Amino acid sequence: MEYNGGSVVAMIGKDCVAIASDLRLGQQSVGVAMNFDKVFPVNDKLYYGLPGLATDVYTLREQLRFRVNMYRMKEEREITPKTFTHLVSSTLYEKRFGPYFIEPVVAGLPSPTELDPHPKPFISTMDTIGCITTPKDFAVAGTASNKLFGVAEGLWEPDLEPEDLFETISQTLLNAVDRDALSGWGAIVHVITHDKVITRQLRARMD
Amino acid sequence: MECAFAITGKDFVLIASDMSAGRSIIQMKSNENKITPVGPNLAMACGGEPGDTSRFADYVDRNLRLYHIRNNFPLPPPSAASWVRRILAESIRSRSPYAVNVLLGGFDTTTSKPHLYWLDYLGTKADIPYAAQGVGMYVTLSTMDKWWYENIERREALDVLNKCVDEVKKRVTIKFDFNCVLIDKDGVHSLDLKSQDPIAELEAKVAAMKPSDPEPIIPSSDAPAIAAA
Amino acid sequence: MTVQIQPQEEAVGFDFSNYARNQFLGQHMNGLPKATSTGTTIVGLKFGGGDSGEEEGVCLGADTRATAGDIVADKNCEKIHYLTPMIRCCGAGTAADTEFVTNLISSNLELHALSQGRPVRVVTAMTMLKQYLFRYQGHVGAHLVLGGVDSTGSHLFTIHAHGSTDKLPYVTMGSGSLAAMAVFESAYKPYLKREEAVALVARAIRAGIFNDLGSGSNVDVSIITKAGCETLRNYEMPNERGVKSRNYKFRRGTTAWVKENIRSLIVKEDVKITSGAGKEQPGIEPHPVPVGAGPGGEEGMDVDS
Repeated sequence: MEYNGGSVVAMIGKDCVAIASDLRLGQQSVGVAMNFDKVFPVNDKLYYGLPGLATDVYTLREQLRFRVNMYRMKEEREITPKTFTHLVSSTLYEKRFGPYFIEPVVAGLPSPTELDPHPKPFISTMDTIGCITTPKDFAVAGTASNKLFGVAEGLWEPDLEPEDLFETISQTLLNAVDRDALSGWGAIVHVITHDKVITRQLRARMD
Repeated sequence: MECAFAITGKDFVLIASDMSAGRSIIQMKSNENKITPVGPNLAMACGGEPGDTSRFADYVDRNLRLYHIRNNFPLPPPSAASWVRRILAESIRSRSPYAVNVLLGGFDTTTSKPHLYWLDYLGTKADIPYAAQGVGMYVTLSTMDKWWYENIERREALDVLNKCVDEVKKRVTIKFDFNCVLIDKDGVHSLDLKSQDPIAELEAKVAAMKPSDPEPIIPSSDAPAIAAA
Repeated sequence: MTVQIQPQEEAVGFDFSNYARNQFLGQHMNGLPKATSTGTTIVGLKFGGGDSGEEEGVCLGADTRATAGDIVADKNCEKIHYLTPMIRCCGAGTAADTEFVTNLISSNLELHALSQGRPVRVVTAMTMLKQYLFRYQGHVGAHLVLGGVDSTGSHLFTIHAHGSTDKLPYVTMGSGSLAAMAVFESAYKPYLKREEAVALVARAIRAGIFNDLGSGSNVDVSIITKAGCETLRNYEMPNERGVKSRNYKFRRGTTAWVKENIRSLIVKEDVKITSGAGKEQPGIEPHPVPVGAGPGGEEGMDVDS
């Protein structure tokens, strides 16, 4: 956790979700890379972030990519955010007594189906052993999670349009990581809407 | 105690590593080569537990060579880095992990791009333009932050490298000697840091060998280079 | 030569492959990260029967706070877990463990009911839970309050993480158990009416919410009688958040960014009717299809699609 540093935050808006992470990879107090993206796509409208121990970021990402691909081939459809959350959760709980040091954050827009023609935007987080929480507002994780909780609690409001959500999540992340020595060194934000995904690299403090 | 650092440039990667070997405060050897060529355009600097480093370098070298023989094509640097990371990540979960920190530099001949990877014994991987490992991390990273720029040319990059070497000599209490390799489209070349103009020497060497010998200047380890198809 | 296929033992249970590494990591860094735990108030109460004139049943209650250390991880989580249509289980302790244990046992109970052709009994659920927990010697940190109704009547149990169980008319568990038990000890009597039971359970949970730091937010209640199970999610909400008088919206354009990549999910195609295939079509500008690694995809990290 504190070995490499890094934080992720996700937020719900009006028919959109956003997920953002910082870009630092450190070895304790020494900064090693400023291009270490912790947010990855699963499919067009589903992204997830893996803040925590960097070796586990790669290992878990490889594992999840394998499992999602197997799901895709067996089911011949894309995985939904909710199912993906449970997939991550069981992957983590499998290692209950030797966990991956990762607190994943999932953010996605479920596609409309016959049963649910107007699905709600979805976010979720887990602890290191896969206990799911599915908030209705925002989800945070990583070394700056305490600060992110505070800032997000103050700044988030319901029904933000994509562009407003971008501002809110960006300011939440930037201001929280400014108070965290182990996070920062750049930030990247993804805003997922039904017809496009906007990805922006923010101008951030580099100290 | 070790110290290694590397710089990517326009069409090459420079890797420098110290050559000391010893235990705690005693130095047994000052000319131990810690940079292993692990492919025609790929080299690796290993630091960490003394026994593990050479064993790991051998293991990587032989496996990448096997890949080269099987496929008649060397594993490109990004894939090689992924593979090395996986080996380290699996090793840390085993009974006897490799305690090795690696700088992996290579030139991708398919895309004509240089690559540099920073890997630690946990299986952490970073894809970065310049990197350092060991005690040198604390003094050379800031030097490279200041002097490195994108698409830096060979001589300028070597200047930066020499600045790093000077910085280590100035700020680190342990005495280090360094050796250095340059990796480009022609292969892995060793540079003599003590010479007046190592780049000119290298260019002369390459020009002399080129027409007759298409193989890398330093073939990977001791075995003869792989015959072309 | 025939190839002998070794019958492989099915891999079940937990995977310890990270264990040795984590021990090492824990020694070298400042401890291992903390899991979400439900510093909780959960209670259960038997009611009805006797001279109450009402059908007997059990009433379960829980607060809705989940904590990670001193941080509130979830302000409105669900701690009353479904086991079978007529059995519920409140969980305290390590949140992931309560979640996965109850899910696992719920599945096994369903299979058991299907194989036996009748609804399972509460004791069966209790036995399966305690045997599972005992096997893991307390390392699976689930502290449970189990309640339900079956063919033999209504039952209420507590199950501790080490596998011990108690059968009592009124029970409390979790960090708020003392506050809740104080309420029960002062006000519980046998043969309560349903309304009284629900009110008492809610009061006990409220005692936990307001007097125990590990518990908070809302009151969830579940009432199980022979007639069925009624779950009252957020039965009481004594800690509603006030409405912000103004908003903190940022003006668009506040955040400076250096790079943008918009991936359009709309597939666009221009079709022009022509005679003869492969002809050059001067009026048409080729529209580039979004390709490449996509957002967040440097080498080796390409988009899964």
